[in-house]
Amino acid sequence: MIRRHSGRRTDTMAILSEVKKDYGKIKNFVNGEWIDSTSSKVVDIENPSTAGSIGKVPMSTVEETKAAIDAAHDAWWSWRETPPITRARLMFRLKELLEQHFENIARIMVQEQGKTIDEARGETRRTIENVEVAAGIPSLMMGYNLEDGAAEGIDEDAVISPLGVFAAICPFNFPAMIPFWFWPYAVASGNTYIVKPSKQVPLTQNYIFKLVEEAGFPPGVVNLVNGSHEVADTLMEHPHVKGISFVGSTPVAKYVYKKSAENGKRVQAQGGAKNSLVVMPDAVIDRSVRNMLASFYGCAGQRCLAGSNLVLVGDVAEPFLKKFVEASKGIKMGYGLDESVNMGPVVSGDAKKKVVGYIDKGVEEGAKLLLDGRNAKVPGYEKGYFVGPTILDGVTPDMVVAKEEIFGPVVTVLRMKNLDEAIDFIHSSRFGNAASIYTQSGKWAREFRYRTQCGNIGINVGIVAAMAYFPFAGYKDSFFGDLHGQGQDAIKFFTDRKVVITRWF
Amino acid sequence: MVVCEFPECTTFGAVIRFALELEKGSVAVYEELANEPKYAGGAETFKALAAAHKKRGDLLEHTRREKLNEMILEPIQDLKREDYLIDTKVPAGADLKAAARFAGKIEETSSRFYLDSSKVAKMLLAEAARIMERLGKENQANKAKLESL
Repeated sequence: MIRRHSGRRTDTMAILSEVKKDYGKIKNFVNGEWIDSTSSKVVDIENPSTAGSIGKVPMSTVEETKAAIDAAHDAWWSWRETPPITRARLMFRLKELLEQHFENIARIMVQEQGKTIDEARGETRRTIENVEVAAGIPSLMMGYNLEDGAAEGIDEDAVISPLGVFAAICPFNFPAMIPFWFWPYAVASGNTYIVKPSKQVPLTQNYIFKLVEEAGFPPGVVNLVNGSHEVADTLMEHPHVKGISFVGSTPVAKYVYKKSAENGKRVQAQGGAKNSLVVMPDAVIDRSVRNMLASFYGCAGQRCLAGSNLVLVGDVAEPFLKKFVEASKGIKMGYGLDESVNMGPVVSGDAKKKVVGYIDKGVEEGAKLLLDGRNAKVPGYEKGYFVGPTILDGVTPDMVVAKEEIFGPVVTVLRMKNLDEAIDFIHSSRFGNAASIYTQSGKWAREFRYRTQCGNIGINVGIVAAMAYFPFAGYKDSFFGDLHGQGQDAIKFFTDRKVVITRWF
Repeated sequence: MVVCEFPECTTFGAVIRFALELEKGSVAVYEELANEPKYAGGAETFKALAAAHKKRGDLLEHTRREKLNEMILEPIQDLKREDYLIDTKVPAGADLKAAARFAGKIEETSSRFYLDSSKVAKMLLAEAARIMERLGKENQANKAKLESL
């Protein structure tokens, strides 16, 4: 805590307290029990702001993963027979517990992931929203029927049925929310589940699963297995697992999609992104700049919805860029438990190295550095993995930095003549996750949303994060599968339609 | 004397935290005044104002928890922390009038903070802006009550 005394006033600048300094070695939650992994492979969990260890995570074995699958499989039928309203009640109980522990969940996320406390609170809210939506399962899961639908005196019904065991393989950037895009819907609709958190950020789910236990889900219905590719591969190969949900990079998403499909599973695999934010000549500059700062630098650029390419159309380029660079200089970096911080570090030393490598590459390709975050240092957190806001101007569509996902606070600036050229550029990308336009013209906005081949479109919105009752979409190499996470898509992914034709003699 | 922890107002969360610290400071000052026998003539008013500021704190906590989402996490660069710091040390030897004036100054600073924050919040979140505006106006009404002591 830094104390400041100014005249007669006594005030201090506070850093919020950490939930724990050291979380020790975490366990798996299988069949309603907390189980110590027997694996000899244990990995340190780092606080990216300090580079210090805050706990240890086991790389669970194939056998331990199979035990979790068996537990989920054994629990499935009685859970499937549990009435939807009873299953929904557990969701309400979990929601209440998540609300009670809201602040701790957010602070643990800051500790292990590096995001700011506001970002972590926002993520916790979105986590809870998914539980709230899943609690509506009695309505969400209703089937449909038609009297005399098959023939005179013969009725036809479509019943929505759960399938069995599902699993999620989760990334590091949203430790609380991403598992909740999937499992509340799966479990509420009568399936059982296994969550494998990222080995870089397992603490948040570890804490949340204590609440899952307290909420009273029956043993085996929801399970947590920590680890790496041994766990993931076992989940993708095991015949009892009916489907896999994945979020991560495109090469791994492709691997998960292929391997899981080969093993006869349903798959929804969310990959990488290279999102463009297009500024039209009539954009409201001040408001757009402010909004874009959150898109480019929020979560240190480690969102799959983060802005990456800044596409300036026509004569807006110079005035817009001037303000954008100035505002970017005002971004305050630091440990996310300081509430005044706008941007935390990237998640690891390797991540920092990769981001810095891309900045170097951009310079090598001929881009001009308007703002260089490579040597950013935060007083008191000198070992942290901070990369400052970085702006590369004069980027052209053929450059690597314009095409590849950097996953850091790096803005690549491209200039285009008109909207057609901007949309063509977006379409030249192998990704199709998100794109935004900043304009006051309804015509341009309509054309952009109609023509742009991306799953998430923003109109004067830089982070197109679908709410829990909408699907988190994605096209091209940003998504492999057909049904997305969240909302009705999730219900469809985790269930099948059973048709019943009935005649009474 | 209460120690307030005022952050730089560079994020939505920090603005709410700043507001919570203002409320904490206000509650502490009013409770101190309400419990001091020499201010017995204003005790009821001070007690009521302490309770009102506590309630405002709950409203702010609720706003932070319920209203924050990713789409509004824009950096804030228009509010200067130093413009809204308050003094919570009741001057020694102050009579009731002077003590009320001292508390009125806190209300005045708080009002300015909320009304300025409301303008910033309007760009992010209409509901938060409405709450801030309401709190700022309440501060003005509180100040008027204190002036009548």
